[in-house]
Amino acid sequence: MAPVEASQADDAAAALVGKVAAPGDVVMLLPDSGRVAIGSGGLRPLGGAVVASKCGVVRRSTGGMLWVEGRQKRYIPAEGDTVIGVVVDRLSEHLTVDIGGPFKAVLPMLSFEGATKRNRPAVYEGDVVSARVVTSNPDMDPVLSCVDAQGKASGLGHLKGGLTLECSCAWARALLSRPMPAVVAALGKEAAFEMAAGLNGRVWVDAPSAGLAVRVAAALARAEEELGPGDDAAAFVRRALAGELSAAGGGAG
Amino acid sequence: MGRKEFISDGLRLDGRRPKELRRMRSQIGVLQSADGSAMFQMGNTQAPQFGAAPHRLAAAATAARPQVLASVFGPREVEVRSQLKTDRAIVKCEYAMAAFSTGERRRRGKSDRRSTELSSVIRNTLEQTIQLEEYARSQIDVYVQVLQADGGTRCACINAAMLALADAGIKLRDTVAACAAGYLASTPLLDMNYEEDSAGGPDVAVAYQPGLDKIVLLQMDGRLAAEAFDECVQLAVQGCREVAAAMRKALVGHTKALMAAGGGAAGGGRG
Repeated sequence: MAPVEASQADDAAAALVGKVAAPGDVVMLLPDSGRVAIGSGGLRPLGGAVVASKCGVVRRSTGGMLWVEGRQKRYIPAEGDTVIGVVVDRLSEHLTVDIGGPFKAVLPMLSFEGATKRNRPAVYEGDVVSARVVTSNPDMDPVLSCVDAQGKASGLGHLKGGLTLECSCAWARALLSRPMPAVVAALGKEAAFEMAAGLNGRVWVDAPSAGLAVRVAAALARAEEELGPGDDAAAFVRRALAGELSAAGGGAG
Repeated sequence: MGRKEFISDGLRLDGRRPKELRRMRSQIGVLQSADGSAMFQMGNTQAPQFGAAPHRLAAAATAARPQVLASVFGPREVEVRSQLKTDRAIVKCEYAMAAFSTGERRRRGKSDRRSTELSSVIRNTLEQTIQLEEYARSQIDVYVQVLQADGGTRCACINAAMLALADAGIKLRDTVAACAAGYLASTPLLDMNYEEDSAGGPDVAVAYQPGLDKIVLLQMDGRLAAEAFDECVQLAVQGCREVAAAMRKALVGHTKALMAAGGGAAGGGRG
């Protein structure tokens, strides 16, 4: 649903934005007139009210759209998302890519920069790709593309080398956001590395040496839980690069 | 052996009043590999912690509290293509009892009659709670393992499964809570423990959705007069409301903790 300004609804919703809702909680009562925009993000209309379907914080976008922001492990594809996936099959017309969602995604062979029928991309089973979700229709498998609307790669495509780690979708979203999280800025000062994050909870890291790549990946993975907003990111990063993070937990590779 | 007095001076064998629930404890998000998981337990303090040594679990078995671990995987691709439904998700539920869950160690298969019946009952309850149309062509797996058995395992299983589903972020129509009531010594009793359950009186198990005011499961063992049955169902529904409130509190607390942990690093914080 496209977000639409709501007038009376604004006042009704304002009180609950920022509060945590559990499934079945009434988030707001529908006003007598005006329009209320709810995305597919965890709210549903029931009788005269809007009710939460999952746990999370009620949020409102600047356009007036309401949704529930929760912390889930499994990724549900949405159009326009940038995701990182692993190719699981190469067929003649497309690649099958695992993006960690309910279904495997389809990446057409021609959706790469400079690809033609004669010149197919050199991407094979096991390779990591960074792609954009083009369609995510409930009746079909999601379709990806490694070019943007103009036909340019712009950072998408085959990611060579490096390692991929899994994290929560919310942390991956944070890694992609501006301003940069403290841990990324601190890592950038201490080491040279490349990073690509996908909204599906996958992060790809590459560095000149394998050891450095592993340590950077460990730092990124553990920062979600171990580095709070007030903690010293620089000290954490130095410990991580020295290999001093304890062995438990994380999710490298 | 003397005849047991199930109620004397208005108190039951474990010191509760007839309409009093056992205390509940839950832990959400306990398994790293599952999309959603939860431990649910009805009982008193000194609960054996998750991961306690087996001998402590065995000793605690006499202290009467059902403990259930539920895990949820999904939504994911349907394993058996013929079961795929184009307009909704399918739910698979597996109920298992650990060999150490009762006083006597006994290995049980997953396909014995009780397990099959309970799997089916839990699945039925969850199918009415999950918004299946939102996950067309996919499968949601729910595994419920009873770590410690005592009166009311089927209700504890439904409660644990509900928490695990909420942890997995699967869209639900409403919270669902389950509770059982019985009738002993001419008194309706809420949330019977093992001794009361084994006394041979009727046992009415109810699963209820508080927001929608809807009973989604109603099962009874034994015989009961119609009026007494009504009383028991009402009592069980009341118990379900209390359980639902406690579960909601646990979910909200867990969500707040999760949002606080990750929120700082995002640099944007709360809306």
